[in-house]
Amino acid sequence: MINRYKWWEYIAIYAGIAIFLSFILAPFVEAFVVSLRPLDGIFSIPYRFLSEGMSFEAYFSMWESVPLLWLYILNSLFIASSVTLLSLVAVIPAAYAFARFEFKGDNIMLGAFLAINMVSGAVLIIPLYRVMMQLGVLNTYMAMIVPGTAFVIPTGIWLLRSYLMRIPRELEEAAWMDGAGRLYTLRRVILPIAMPGIIVVSITSFITAYAQQFLFALTFNRKIELNPLPTGLYQYFGRNEVLWNELMAASLIGILPVMILYLVLQRYIIAGLTAGAIKQ
Amino acid sequence: MKKSIDPFPYMLLVPALFVTLLVVAWPLAETVRLSFTDTTLKPQVNYIGFANYEKILSRGFPEVIGRTFLWMTLAVTLKLLIGLLGAILLNAAVPGRTLFRILTMPPWIIPVAIGMFIWGWMYNGQFGMISGLIQRIGLSDGPIEFLAAKDTAFLATVISDVWIGVPMVAVYLLASMQSISNEMYEAAWVDGAGRLYRIRRITVPLIMKPLITIGILSAIWTFNAFDAIWILTEGGPRSGTTTMIIDTYKTAIDRFRYGEGAARAVLIVLIMMGFSTAYYLVLRKLGNRR
Amino acid sequence: MFKHTTILTALTLSLSALAAMADDQRVHFTICGGPDWAGDVTAKYIAEWEGMNPGYFVDPEYIPWGQCQEKATTLAAAGNAPALSYLGSRTLAQLSQADLIKSFELTDEEKASYAGPVLGTVTYDGKIWGVPRAFSSRAMYYNRGLFEEAGLDPNSPPETWEEFLAAAKAISENTDSYGFGIPGNSTDTTMQIFLGMNYSNGGAVLDDEGNVVLDSPETLATMKMWIEAAKYAQPGIAAYGESELTTLFAEGKLGMYLAGPWIRSKLKDVDYATAFFPHGPSGTHSTFLVTDSYAVFKGTGLEEQAESLAKLLTAPKAQLEFDLGTGLVPLRNIAGVEKLIEEDVTWAPFINVIPTGGPEPVIPDHGGLRDIMVDAIQGALLGEISPEDAISEAAELIKELN
Repeated sequence: MINRYKWWEYIAIYAGIAIFLSFILAPFVEAFVVSLRPLDGIFSIPYRFLSEGMSFEAYFSMWESVPLLWLYILNSLFIASSVTLLSLVAVIPAAYAFARFEFKGDNIMLGAFLAINMVSGAVLIIPLYRVMMQLGVLNTYMAMIVPGTAFVIPTGIWLLRSYLMRIPRELEEAAWMDGAGRLYTLRRVILPIAMPGIIVVSITSFITAYAQQFLFALTFNRKIELNPLPTGLYQYFGRNEVLWNELMAASLIGILPVMILYLVLQRYIIAGLTAGAIKQ
Repeated sequence: MKKSIDPFPYMLLVPALFVTLLVVAWPLAETVRLSFTDTTLKPQVNYIGFANYEKILSRGFPEVIGRTFLWMTLAVTLKLLIGLLGAILLNAAVPGRTLFRILTMPPWIIPVAIGMFIWGWMYNGQFGMISGLIQRIGLSDGPIEFLAAKDTAFLATVISDVWIGVPMVAVYLLASMQSISNEMYEAAWVDGAGRLYRIRRITVPLIMKPLITIGILSAIWTFNAFDAIWILTEGGPRSGTTTMIIDTYKTAIDRFRYGEGAARAVLIVLIMMGFSTAYYLVLRKLGNRR
Repeated sequence: MFKHTTILTALTLSLSALAAMADDQRVHFTICGGPDWAGDVTAKYIAEWEGMNPGYFVDPEYIPWGQCQEKATTLAAAGNAPALSYLGSRTLAQLSQADLIKSFELTDEEKASYAGPVLGTVTYDGKIWGVPRAFSSRAMYYNRGLFEEAGLDPNSPPETWEEFLAAAKAISENTDSYGFGIPGNSTDTTMQIFLGMNYSNGGAVLDDEGNVVLDSPETLATMKMWIEAAKYAQPGIAAYGESELTTLFAEGKLGMYLAGPWIRSKLKDVDYATAFFPHGPSGTHSTFLVTDSYAVFKGTGLEEQAESLAKLLTAPKAQLEFDLGTGLVPLRNIAGVEKLIEEDVTWAPFINVIPTGGPEPVIPDHGGLRDIMVDAIQGALLGEISPEDAISEAAELIKELN
């Protein structure tokens, strides 16, 4: 009953969504239109949606210009997954520590972790290159996974911490009174309840890792078979000419896997969130 | 009350600390060290004390700092507002909502640089979508070159960066909204509260904390927003869109002045730490910690 | 450069040193772009070199254009330089000043075989720091259809600045298009095209000894002409670089603009022709010359091998194959160049202007130079500073660059 909308509410909502999605998707409409055009007719003056010679040609020729495109997409998925999983190992205990415990230096450390996100990787690149070189992980997946993880951890800690802080302490206290150890409590009591928050953090980490893999891959890696998608896409840039149509086609194809992943995962979020709805 | 220090929380931090120290701490320490030198590509390196910092602060950098804060405030505010509106809309139980939610994701997933190229085309006055549509509707009789003048370029870069950040804010706020139990809404409904009233009085207050959380995160990310500005304007025209990170990049990477670039980077971190510490203390005062 | 002493480092260093010894015979060669850019020519001559140097292998690494220079320098700065790198020649002065690259010894014969001012782009402090590999000049493209429509003769492009401004005005007033396209965004093109015009008026940034001579009556005249030309140019100059201007020209919205030879493949629908830069009252036809070259990094233990590889790849015959394969302006004077012009007359202005062309100024802090020039040009064109102030301030700032 509560969710039955009146007819004018439907219109208002759909109109609002239409405006919102127009802002979100306009560039993708542009990208799609560009991907359908031949190279010497990418743009037209004045602006037109439909132009002559549009075809799906670029979606086929893009595999020839950059033969390993499919591999780059797989690499991106692999690296982003690894980053997400590894970061969870670090984020979950750390977020729990910051959420539940008061200990000496906790504010400073939290601030320090956040400060990491403020330092752009570009500035650290040369000392970081030496670290990677000395660890012997250059030209391996680790060279991209490890820095990626480090830059994703602060966000994860921050987000999960605020989620954990809303879980009632009574749950843990009950477990402790029953004699459960603290680590056990974390694993068996808190984690299941925190699942929705963990999933949100995982999605955030995954998408961030997927979209921002450029600089580390470029600098620390020489084997093109290991390249992730953003680096691979730059192969469409020639010396004086960019294959815009193929680049757009490849980019659009490249984001599909993640969207499908989100489609699958967001059901878990909703299921988790409504099932274990936390009373405010 | 135990007087000795409980090691447990510290142990929980070990994995995170390990990765962070390895990847960030040493390079960061190196960067601080570099900021006191005149390092470029040349082999010989001299320690020059605070000379880099003096140079930066005396020659127009304060203006860059101000511009960065303005840019950032605008961008974060817009991200939060549009993200909040989006989350409210997407929370509505209307047919197709799953599709709409998924359609909100792409700006977040696409490599940032690619997105910025597209925005660059859209902003062009002659062949771009925005000016084209505005002219078609008749709101302007000439082409509008958004990236050609300082003010419009400033706004244009802000909007493009906002576009990147909105999905994350919307998704996060949506998740928070969905964890509000239905009972509260139903109780209010029984009492005769209308929909907008329920949104104003239940939804919005209950997501204040998540809003602040995502707000701080957004602020930190936005501070370092690089691609949006670099690809659209490279900091121009005439430094109109040069923020701290652009300036740092130009100095350190473009011109190989690592010492000076390091000093800028250190300043950025110090300012942001001060900023977030202040914010955090304010939060504590508002009773956020149990 | 940076000392770092821990046990861990010592261990890993010694381990990697052992591994490195096995790599000693691999010549790490960074190349910009992809194998599709005359990669087969490069591969062929690499194989030839390997055949002549048993025990050595070339390890080519293709890096996309936007990042290849940056990566090579990052590697060098971090202590792991490639043996041989393809770099824009503008970076050579800085790298040589930092003592990162090795100078080349060329015989007089070798020197003479290079077209005119080409060697000037790789010379700094009296020495040659790179072997030129790729070369481009710029010329004027003009739309013959628009010329006719404006009442101008499509077969006689403007030669002097007066004619040029008159033509731009005519096109602006009599057609729907803009007379001329000026690049004004924050990229190199803005500086390059302006300097090309300046060279065509006898102005320059540096003289032969490296003194800053930008602040001159010739440069002032160029700037004033540029401001005048802006009246007939596309609006929003500060948003335009070469690719945006090319789009406009390809769509028939520009009467004239200045660019490199690679544009021609994009102009299938336009009735265009090429011509020299119009020259000013104090100069002759000139252009802006850019080269990329091969540089040998120091400290790799393979400097000799890198140098011999570079020379083999750029030997006259090999170089011409490369130039033809990539569509670049031929770098070395041998027969075959005249044939190019015979077959395609649009080549003429790009090639014939070389002897009087002006090189990219050789200044170590080339990024700084670009920022200063772009600021001056934008400021003058936007009307925010007077041309006199723009030029004198720029000249002062350039003098302060190391």
